[in-house]
Amino acid sequence: MTQPVTIIMIEDDEGHARLIERNIRRSGVNNEIIAFGNGTDAMMHLFGADGTGLKQKGNALLILLDLNLPDMTGIDILKQIKENKYLKASPVVVLTTTDDSQEIKRCYELGCNVYITKPVNYENFANAIRQLGLFFSVIQVPPAAT
Amino acid sequence: MRAEAQRRRAFWQILLFSAGLLVLTVISAGSVYLVNKARSDNKWVLHTIEVENQVNALLLEVRRAESGARGYLLTQGADFKIDHDKAVAAIIPALDRLTRLSTDNPAQRDNIEKLSVAIETRLDQFAREMEFVRQGQPEKAMALVREAATADTTTTISSVASTMIREEERLFYLRSVNADHSQTLAASMTGIGSGLVVVLVLISIWLVRRSARSRDDAEARLRDANVNLETIVDERTADLREANNEIQRFAYIVSHDLRSPLVNIMGFTSELEELGGDIFRRVSGLTHVPADGPQLVPGAAGNIPLEGPDKQLSEDFSEALGFIKSSIAKMDRLISAILNLTREGRREFQPERIDTRELIEAIVSTLAHQAAEAQAEIHVEPLPDVVSDRLALEQIFSNLIDNAIKYLKSGVPGEIRIRGRTKLGYAIFELSDNGRGIDPRDHQRIFDLFRRAGTQDKPGQGIGLAHVRALVRRLGGTMSVSSELNAGSTFTITLPMNWNASNRKTDQ
Repeated sequence: MTQPVTIIMIEDDEGHARLIERNIRRSGVNNEIIAFGNGTDAMMHLFGADGTGLKQKGNALLILLDLNLPDMTGIDILKQIKENKYLKASPVVVLTTTDDSQEIKRCYELGCNVYITKPVNYENFANAIRQLGLFFSVIQVPPAAT
Repeated sequence: MRAEAQRRRAFWQILLFSAGLLVLTVISAGSVYLVNKARSDNKWVLHTIEVENQVNALLLEVRRAESGARGYLLTQGADFKIDHDKAVAAIIPALDRLTRLSTDNPAQRDNIEKLSVAIETRLDQFAREMEFVRQGQPEKAMALVREAATADTTTTISSVASTMIREEERLFYLRSVNADHSQTLAASMTGIGSGLVVVLVLISIWLVRRSARSRDDAEARLRDANVNLETIVDERTADLREANNEIQRFAYIVSHDLRSPLVNIMGFTSELEELGGDIFRRVSGLTHVPADGPQLVPGAAGNIPLEGPDKQLSEDFSEALGFIKSSIAKMDRLISAILNLTREGRREFQPERIDTRELIEAIVSTLAHQAAEAQAEIHVEPLPDVVSDRLALEQIFSNLIDNAIKYLKSGVPGEIRIRGRTKLGYAIFELSDNGRGIDPRDHQRIFDLFRRAGTQDKPGQGIGLAHVRALVRRLGGTMSVSSELNAGSTFTITLPMNWNASNRKTDQ
């Protein structure tokens, strides 16, 4: 069963969101991208009104997550995603402005799959995103949780 | 106020002590004087009695001589004569003794003269009586006796003697009174002195107790003050830590949040650059299309160079973007530096025993390449071991050695020396070089974040020394520099030998 992967982008900075989207498109990835500017809307979309995540059962998702959100921290969202049986198989790419090793370690401990710092050196960033595009193309959609 | 009271108390104690000493001295001196006086008074009393005795003895001898003479006269017995001669022989020494004893008293001397005259007369009579008796003319002797009786010599002797005795009795009375007086004086003096001493002792005891009490009070106050001081210090330290943490959080958040817009600026600047490239390619393509020429072939446009004002526009555009990008890069470096510093500031230190020399040798070996390029020699002398955070020490020394290599005088072989010693529980490290040195005006400035000194011909952000000093301070040490321009620099770092994590745990 092949199902197109939906990219969920949780990023409060519109500029960043636009840059990420452009770079993803530029790398030839044409999957649907759903962008959220705050944590609450994203949680609603991911977990549904009942908060169980049943809504996303069987959907192939890739989540791009910014850690600094206006209403909650990305770490919390990551934790909840990885604790939810329907969502925990979805790869999570953490995007953040810091390269704090403590924070990176924490994210990997919580189950983040890829950690990308948003460097000001734009070329590197663009490359990273493009590589992410390659990553999307080889990604194995996880078997939906039952 | 307190010093005043203390001075007063000390003054009183000295005064009391002096008074006690004075009283004792006076009593001692007075007693010695009075005892001597009493002794001399008693001697005089004794003397009086002696004189009296002597007078009586003399009288007795005279009477003995008289009765001996009379007995001899009546009986011509040899016994009486011997008796008489003995008495007569005793009279003169007795008189002499009396004269000697009475030399002090002029009245008695007159009496003694009278007495001696009378006694001499009487002795002469005795001698003549005896002479007559011996020659066998008792009647002449008897006549002499009668004559003597009528001449009243004996009476004169008796009366003079009794005058003398009366005089001596008067003296005896006077001298006894004197002696009594002296003794009473001595006794009362001792009594009063003892009383005074007792009073002084009581006052002293009172004073000592008072000062002991005030000392206890002062001690209690001091203890309270100490406790208060500790509390205050603890409070202030807690406040300072709180403020420090606040600053760290602030710096962290600010630098973090500053980075977000910077990512956008950089990202869209790059987009703009690409857009610009596209635009200028199109422009060049359009300008090179002949009016009736073939359609623009996409892809081929980029290869056509711009000309004239278009080229100028393109160059201006690139220049502007170049400035924007280099400024962004610089801003990003500064923000990263602040982030790194705050991150370092929040890192927990792990104290462990560190072989400082080994640690520095390791740093030196990693910097060997740079050192060789700068023709610098690095000497590491024996260094004291410390208990501290390894990473912090590595950062401190590698920053300093790196700086020393970086800022050598060009053309002069570098010599960098690291020395160490210990003092009062602190390890002191000195890192000296023969480099370009630092103007004394800049000694403070070089430790400030983003500030540098001297010729700006080396890459750097002005972070190293600020970071080093922050680390040294967190390790409970101090850091200073001594340097002259063109005369090398010496950085001195003082670190506690045993850095204790417990006094810093609350930092976090």
